[in-house]
Amino acid sequence: MNTHNISDELLNAFVDNELDSDEKSEIFDALGKDESIRDRICELRSMKEMLKHAYSQPPVRDSSPIKKLFSWWIPCVKNMPSLASCMLLLLIGWGSGWLMSPSLHSNSNPKLLHLFQAAQSNIFTENPDNIIVHVSNSNPIRLRSALDETENLLEANRRSNRNFKVEIIANAGGVDLLRSDVSPFAKRITLMKAKYPNLELIACSQTIAKLQENGIAVLLLPDTGVASSAVEQINKRLHQGWDYVRI
Amino acid sequence: MKILSIFSDSSTCQKQLEQVRPKLFRLVFSWCHNAALAEDLVQETLIKALKNANQLRDPRSMNGWLFSILANCWRDHFRLRSPTKDADEIEDYHCVNQTTPEDEHAQSQLISHVWKAVEKLPMGQRQVLTLVDLEDFSYIEVAAILSIPIGTVMSRLCRARQALKHLLKELAPQQSAHVAQIRRIM
Repeated sequence: MNTHNISDELLNAFVDNELDSDEKSEIFDALGKDESIRDRICELRSMKEMLKHAYSQPPVRDSSPIKKLFSWWIPCVKNMPSLASCMLLLLIGWGSGWLMSPSLHSNSNPKLLHLFQAAQSNIFTENPDNIIVHVSNSNPIRLRSALDETENLLEANRRSNRNFKVEIIANAGGVDLLRSDVSPFAKRITLMKAKYPNLELIACSQTIAKLQENGIAVLLLPDTGVASSAVEQINKRLHQGWDYVRI
Repeated sequence: MKILSIFSDSSTCQKQLEQVRPKLFRLVFSWCHNAALAEDLVQETLIKALKNANQLRDPRSMNGWLFSILANCWRDHFRLRSPTKDADEIEDYHCVNQTTPEDEHAQSQLISHVWKAVEKLPMGQRQVLTLVDLEDFSYIEVAAILSIPIGTVMSRLCRARQALKHLLKELAPQQSAHVAQIRRIM
């Protein structure tokens, strides 16, 4: 092999151990003949090591989300047999719900549709699962979709005399939904809140603080709660066994 | 049943995720250099992984699967905020905070220089470079994680290392020039 024909891509592949043995042999031959190849390989290797070294100890925030997540997950896996039967019941509930409600088939979030259909059946009557709906986008179509789906859930809840809660948690652009001066659905939300006592509205205080830093006054809709952080609130709810849906 | 078996042993599963979590954090931190954002994205990745555990067909590919979710979370994070931009073209001002943790590590000049140089790389190159060099993924695994052809992985990696070499030279302290300037003033 002409050592001048050795491309940078080939040398990179050599350094990353991506070549087969024939190609490696050719590079080793070239190494003996051309000192510049050796220099290039040495340079690539040292850069690789330097990068590893630079990120060997990235800063760590004081949190242990794994434990928080698993405190929610572990009880589930411990009860795998009962979960399996629950899933079977859910499937039946889903099937019957699907047959009964053709109007919901279009423009519905599949996860929410599933929860809604579960809500229609009586699977959770003894131990209803609460639902957290996470909104992080200011796109009016998404906001409308979030409200439509939430209303479907709450209506099914009311009809079947069930008592699960639905909590809308908004952060980032989604906070617009709960801002009285900006929200395109302020009136609708107020009516929903009056009609469904099981509906809770929560805004992320970190997003509010960021808006205020930019000189934007944030006026929230009446009865809107504030959580210290959307992520923490979601974690807390997952820990408590709530279902989570992101719009 | 394979899927269930992955998570049925909770301690094994927890151990596996405990092991991979710092790696996820390190990788996404190398993309954004913002510890808070990195932590949020790792958390979102783990939530999605738990929710979509049934999508994991082969337990041996769990590592690559988690990194794919992380790459998707990263892409979604910026697409939701700026729908017209491609994730590869995200400018650094979106990612770099004025009070980045690099300030806290300024005592180590080498680390600081490498971080600054990596920050200046285009996002596509940065992702490929860090997946290969920090996490030791093969080119084919990187292609699967980022959903790009393997040829693109190779060309991006090559361009990233060339750029990094020049950036590290540019960012290196030039003491001799500084001394000469002082002499002229005196």
